[in-house]
Amino acid sequence: MINQDFDAIVVGSGITGGWAAKELTEKGLKVLVLERGRDLRHSVDYLGEHAPDWKLPYQGKRPRELYREEYPIQSQSYAFSEATRHFFNNDKKNPYAYDEGKPFNWVRADVVGGRSLLWGRQTYRWSEKDFQANAEDGHGIPWPIGYKDLAPWYSYVEKFIGVSGEAMGLEELPDSEFLPPMGMHKIEETIRGRLKRKAPDVKMTMGRAAILTQDHKGRAACHYCGPCHRGCSTGSYFSSQSSTLPAARATGNLTLRPDSVVEKLVYDPDLKRISEVRVIDSRTGERMAYRAKLVFLCASTVASTQLLMNSASEYFPNGLGNRSGALGRYLMDHAHGVAGMGIFVDDMDTYWHGNRPNGTYIPRFRNLKAADESLGFVRGYGYQAHALRMNWQSSINKKGFGAELKDSLRKPGMWVWALAAFTECLPDKRNRMCLHPTKKDRFGIPQVAFDAVWRDNEHTLWSDAAEQADRILKAAGAVFSMKHEAIETPMGSGIHEMGTARMGHDPEQAVLNAHNQVHGIPNLFVTDGAAMTSSSCVNPSLTYMALTARACDFAVAQLKGGQI
Amino acid sequence: MNRRQFLECAALLITGATAAQAGFSLTEEQRVYLATAPDYIDKKVDFLSAEQRSTLALLTETVIPRTETPGAIDAGVPRFVELMVFEWFTPDERAIFLNGLNALMSNTFASFGKPFEALGIEQRTKILEALEREASDSPWYEMGNAGMGEEVSDAPFICKLKELTIWGFFTSEVGSTQVLRYEAMPMTFDGNRPLDKDDSSWAGQLL
Repeated sequence: MINQDFDAIVVGSGITGGWAAKELTEKGLKVLVLERGRDLRHSVDYLGEHAPDWKLPYQGKRPRELYREEYPIQSQSYAFSEATRHFFNNDKKNPYAYDEGKPFNWVRADVVGGRSLLWGRQTYRWSEKDFQANAEDGHGIPWPIGYKDLAPWYSYVEKFIGVSGEAMGLEELPDSEFLPPMGMHKIEETIRGRLKRKAPDVKMTMGRAAILTQDHKGRAACHYCGPCHRGCSTGSYFSSQSSTLPAARATGNLTLRPDSVVEKLVYDPDLKRISEVRVIDSRTGERMAYRAKLVFLCASTVASTQLLMNSASEYFPNGLGNRSGALGRYLMDHAHGVAGMGIFVDDMDTYWHGNRPNGTYIPRFRNLKAADESLGFVRGYGYQAHALRMNWQSSINKKGFGAELKDSLRKPGMWVWALAAFTECLPDKRNRMCLHPTKKDRFGIPQVAFDAVWRDNEHTLWSDAAEQADRILKAAGAVFSMKHEAIETPMGSGIHEMGTARMGHDPEQAVLNAHNQVHGIPNLFVTDGAAMTSSSCVNPSLTYMALTARACDFAVAQLKGGQI
Repeated sequence: MNRRQFLECAALLITGATAAQAGFSLTEEQRVYLATAPDYIDKKVDFLSAEQRSTLALLTETVIPRTETPGAIDAGVPRFVELMVFEWFTPDERAIFLNGLNALMSNTFASFGKPFEALGIEQRTKILEALEREASDSPWYEMGNAGMGEEVSDAPFICKLKELTIWGFFTSEVGSTQVLRYEAMPMTFDGNRPLDKDDSSWAGQLL
């Protein structure tokens, strides 16, 4: 069965798929969104939302055997629990491959809305410095666009999604269109004051988050219940479920088909266009095909590239759009974890009211003005910092019994301030994914195989991030501090996988052009993390969204102008 | 408006019509709203003998006693521990726990001529303190193993008893609302809320 009722097909309904759906439908196109995961209704199906501990299975203790058997990768995510498990991919049912000793953590959602339901919501613009990095130090290839190309699209996206934060006027972290910032803990104000005096090169600001601090476009301000990733009925954080998909539906131009595994794209050599999108219904196994003038891949970095690879044909024997040999290569992720933490005995007479789903942010301060060769690394890192007071949970193995134990466990303990580093990752040709030559998934599609590890620059950056975290903690007044000197998690754990179908002017070196259009295939666009040419050290989702909105604008203009 | 009404309203306003068109693939059985589910400890529990059960109750109460606020028994912790021992523990962990419980019961009877629950609070506490001294080399007591505490699978009976009792107590409704402080919908954030010396923490796990 071939269905030709659509102007555009979008693969994926997450953070970029939602944007493509919104932009293309609002420009009058009939759009089909194909989502591999099952259907999920906004609010109604947020089954774990607002559940208190005593309602959870085992009152919140993790069912270890189930997680080990069926969710060994997904359960490593901080967002994974019995209150969110229904959003996640089942690892056992959806295997992938990597070599012994080279693990890669591929965290995936398996529902309409994708990882936009589960993301950390931290929202930062890239700087001009980020876009120039490859050109300046020679790693990877130059970006085909710069900050000025994306700035208006950053604004466009931010005004819709709602970003709370504080304007700082920093070149290295351009300001967004901000809603008022969330408030700081008193201890954070104290620390900020000390850093100003004792570590003036280190700036500290409120986390910039796609969480509303005031009502915005029909969505309610945050009610500070805490765990956003359980889903939010009031739409107070941005997800495609709360925001872009409803906007797309409102046009009357959207058809969303869940349970739709896209198997391959068919290339027509006469038209030099994608002529067909082949789909397997994950529930019935039924196969079908759809046609449209435009195809947008927004399936997530790895899944979009997997699809391009599985669409190889005699015209593109190495994968669709892969004249360059870059497809699948230059895979990146942010090394992410606690680089240092300290204990504070200041402001012991203050506490909080409300569970702020956000921390503070320390933007990159290394290699800023010019490369500092004495450092022994290129690029830099930022910290997301979290302040909390220890409680019964962090003291559960304390000695003692009876009234005294009970009384000490019920009261807040000392302040802890933890600096979680996010370090930039270089685009390295050796870091790659490919299709496994023999292993297939339950739909008969070749499994993804990863061959990617942290390399010298990432390790050196991390050591510096740990050293500097310690300096910052001491300057901040910690009475005790400790650092984590090595990256503790494999690639993928940052859940910021990027690259594998990079943008670049030269078709001999890049898969996508400056508008996320596949070189040589005018009606095919890739606008998720696969497009990234370098990785910056800031969270990437905002940039994916801006790239998507910009690419949609370009594609529709081309379509109307007859070039597509 | 309760949660279910709220959700129905929200669904109608935001996604109702289109969701109905798109169909819905969660089975009725999968669609459990955890917030309105029965408490975990309401599950049927019948694993221990009557003697074991009454000793266990007094053990948890010795760890977290009733003071001017409710204690472990008030909060249903004995049921929680019994459920966890049989539903959540691995067979090896269960064996450590049950052997430890049985040994404590027979040793107490041998020493005092009566069961643990017939002893006074001071005697009971002394017995547990002695067990804790014997166990003090266990990695369970190391700082880094605080928190979830799940990784120290071979920790001795006394550690397992404390871990389940404390966890069960501070995540129970009674412990969360009457000993700690609980507020589901704070609506605002204030990072400079004064804390008196006697104030309790907010309930809820750290993440």
